[in-house]
Amino acid sequence: MIDIKKTYKNYVGGKYVRSESGKTYTKELKNEFYELPLTSKKDIRDAVTSSKDGYKKWSSTTPYLRMQILYRLSEMIEGNKESYVELLMDHGLTKQKANKDIDESIQNIVWFAGLADKWEQLAGNLNPVSEEYFNISHQNPIGVVFSLSGSNISLNELLMSILPSLTVGCSVISYSEENSVVALKFAEDINNSDFPSGSLNILSGKFENILDDVSKHVEINLVALHKELDNDGLKSIEENASESVKRVFSQPSIEGLSSILPYLETKTVWHPKGT
Amino acid sequence: MGKVINTTNPSLQWSDVLEMINDSRIDSVGLNERVNSLSTRSIKKDSKLDALNMIVSMCDLTTLEGEDTEGKISQMVAKAIKPDPLDTSISSVAAVCVYPSLVSIAKEKVSNSNVKVAAVSSYFPSGQVPMESKLLDTKYAIDSGADEIDIVINRKAFLEGDFRKVFDEIVALKEVCNDVHLKTILEVGDLKTYENIRKASIISLVAGSDFIKTSTGKLAIGSSRQACYVMLKSVLDYEALSGVKAGIKVAGGIRDSKDAIRYLVMINEEMGSDWLSPNLFRFGASSLLDDVLKQIKKLKTGAYQASYYFPRG
Repeated sequence: MIDIKKTYKNYVGGKYVRSESGKTYTKELKNEFYELPLTSKKDIRDAVTSSKDGYKKWSSTTPYLRMQILYRLSEMIEGNKESYVELLMDHGLTKQKANKDIDESIQNIVWFAGLADKWEQLAGNLNPVSEEYFNISHQNPIGVVFSLSGSNISLNELLMSILPSLTVGCSVISYSEENSVVALKFAEDINNSDFPSGSLNILSGKFENILDDVSKHVEINLVALHKELDNDGLKSIEENASESVKRVFSQPSIEGLSSILPYLETKTVWHPKGT
Repeated sequence: MGKVINTTNPSLQWSDVLEMINDSRIDSVGLNERVNSLSTRSIKKDSKLDALNMIVSMCDLTTLEGEDTEGKISQMVAKAIKPDPLDTSISSVAAVCVYPSLVSIAKEKVSNSNVKVAAVSSYFPSGQVPMESKLLDTKYAIDSGADEIDIVINRKAFLEGDFRKVFDEIVALKEVCNDVHLKTILEVGDLKTYENIRKASIISLVAGSDFIKTSTGKLAIGSSRQACYVMLKSVLDYEALSGVKAGIKVAGGIRDSKDAIRYLVMINEEMGSDWLSPNLFRFGASSLLDDVLKQIKKLKTGAYQASYYFPRG
């Protein structure tokens, strides 16, 4: 049988696209060469444009529906479990480790799906004040999030860099370098899970090529780095980000409820209580 | 409406128009090829910044909605005078464009700045009223202080083949305008073919329009570079005939800087740098200006911008 090779592409605005630059970079797995899109600055700009649009749609989706869509994602991954395991094994993981990684991924999606309509009760608050008012800390998603995924080959780690912000209604631009084959495969299940286009964009490439553009782009509201960067790199990101008061989180917590807190912005609402 | 009155060019007759429009054949394949070849120029950073500043100075900042209020006009005029309050090197726009009933308000708000007030009249955007009403509409705008008048051609008459009527109406409106700058909107989306655009351009130019303008901005099909190309060729032919340099205004659907720069390239290549001036070339814009301001800031700071950092208007 002829082995038909897959062309891996970025996933932007609900479509599979090649890098506008036409450039790729090569990754070798099991003596085979994978050509992956080398994201350019223009691709990042396009991704931000689609994320802005995606944010409007995704954040106005009801929490109940967001929960259903996330749950649907876990079903998709479960259905494709074998192919994920195979891909992870191609990367050199043992079968046992690969199985564990996918099982954990599914469990985590289900956990976040459950959180989708509960986080606001948990993270928001009714504050005590001495006047006749309700004082409410109302939680809002922060907006467009750029998330740099870690360097380990793992679907679960990729998901943990996406799910916390996605669950609260942010749109996410997920960027992978080492883990990109897994990420681009994962984009297929995103496409089949009813996510509004632009709510989750998956790109691959070399982070150093786009570091400046990402950290300066005014319309990215938060940069989450799930990978350890050297001090100079981090410093330059933080300096650039300060111009637009962009939040930068280096290796934010991925544990439980604390994982979603960076992606929330508190709106304080005063409301008369009446007597 | 028998006699020809042409206040700017009394020497030109209806027969000159007929001669020119009877000869309107356009090679659309060649035209597309030419227009596309002009759209691929690479513009380097410094030239780009100059081009963007030029676009700002050529903008007619426009609001033509039923919901326009004094507050909205006041907000828009403030933006027209100082498009980016944080960057004083950016000039004000050429004009603000409003409905006749809002001209006096706009005129009062622009006060001493060099921003002009343009009014759309002759029952913009359809023009489907008797001539008396069109004249009245235009007179009202001028009496309210409009510096420029944008009229629509009678597309009903044009599409029925009554070119003479189209011509006479523009002539009559030009007479009302007198020294007030007259821009004639062809509404290229309604005209459909390049030949029709050329015919309408010639009719409007000979009838005394100071500018010809592509669209009202109210149709799904707005301006296109192809339509603009046909119009600029007509303007050049008219110049050869009469010695008068008429202007062009493109409007409708031009939303980003890149597209606007392509228009400038085309104008410069085909007409020469004389036309790279707000006196002879304009953009009708509402959303274009925001993108241009964003791009100027991007060139100066290196960071991509969000619209919410610029004034609304």
